[in-house]
Amino acid sequence: MADVDNRVPLDWDTLEVGETFEKFEYTLTQEMIDEYRRGVMDPEAAFPTISHKVDVRQFNGKYSDNGSVNARCAFHCYNSPVPGKKLTVTAWVADKYLRRGKNYIVTEATSVDEDGRLIDRVITHELKQPWEVGKKWEG
Amino acid sequence: MGRVERNYAEGDAVGPLVKEITQEAINLFEGSAGHSEPSQFTDEEAARETLGTSGTVASGRMSISFALELMRRHFGSDVFNHTGTVDLRFIRPVRPGDTVTFTGEVTGTSREANGQKINVNIEVQNQRGDTTAVGSGSAIVPNAFLPAEE
Repeated sequence: MADVDNRVPLDWDTLEVGETFEKFEYTLTQEMIDEYRRGVMDPEAAFPTISHKVDVRQFNGKYSDNGSVNARCAFHCYNSPVPGKKLTVTAWVADKYLRRGKNYIVTEATSVDEDGRLIDRVITHELKQPWEVGKKWEG
Repeated sequence: MGRVERNYAEGDAVGPLVKEITQEAINLFEGSAGHSEPSQFTDEEAARETLGTSGTVASGRMSISFALELMRRHFGSDVFNHTGTVDLRFIRPVRPGDTVTFTGEVTGTSREANGQKINVNIEVQNQRGDTTAVGSGSAIVPNAFLPAEE
């Protein structure tokens, strides 16, 4: 039986800046860290949280759209996550803007571990017409 | 590379850091977070449907990871993993088979309440010399990590 998609179609015009999503929790395992470090070819990489895309996870769980392309991303380091600790993510819509006829949405998230240590902050600008940039890349 | 004690000045080179991008590395990056469904990063058909491209691309977040490494190697993990930032704009795709080179240059320093802030310009180029991303980074170096003033 196919899963039912309960997501709301994204309406960029009515999307509210400041909308904060339900908190998301996960446990970062040593396996996740090891796999991430092999992927980025850096045995000392300290922030595997970046691959979890937690800033857009709750957004993508609520809204359906035609996909996106990452146009800009900022990452702030505070403390390396510790394997086995539960992380709690708070994510929100930080901004939206129209540039050259294309719609962008800015999401932001902070991660805090079960001991209250602030881990990181990530801010992502996503272009919501991914085929537009794909055309440019292929041209 | 935990603790680095040095002076910082405008014009200092940061890096370079060179990475060879493979589909296997992309798959590991995506898989490390449990993203197992086909995506524009891991599956050519999904890339064609979503982006209209003929092949997969690497997530911009992989470039963020490499920029973090570039900066951490320069400032040391004791500093950068607590006060570091990177901010990249993605200009061109990074694809499997590409070799990307990350370089940085210190653009300025300023006194902060908790140390000296070092600002860095970051540029990423592929093997053809095309710029794939540009941006900046920073770190606040505690005074305890700076050489004593004369």
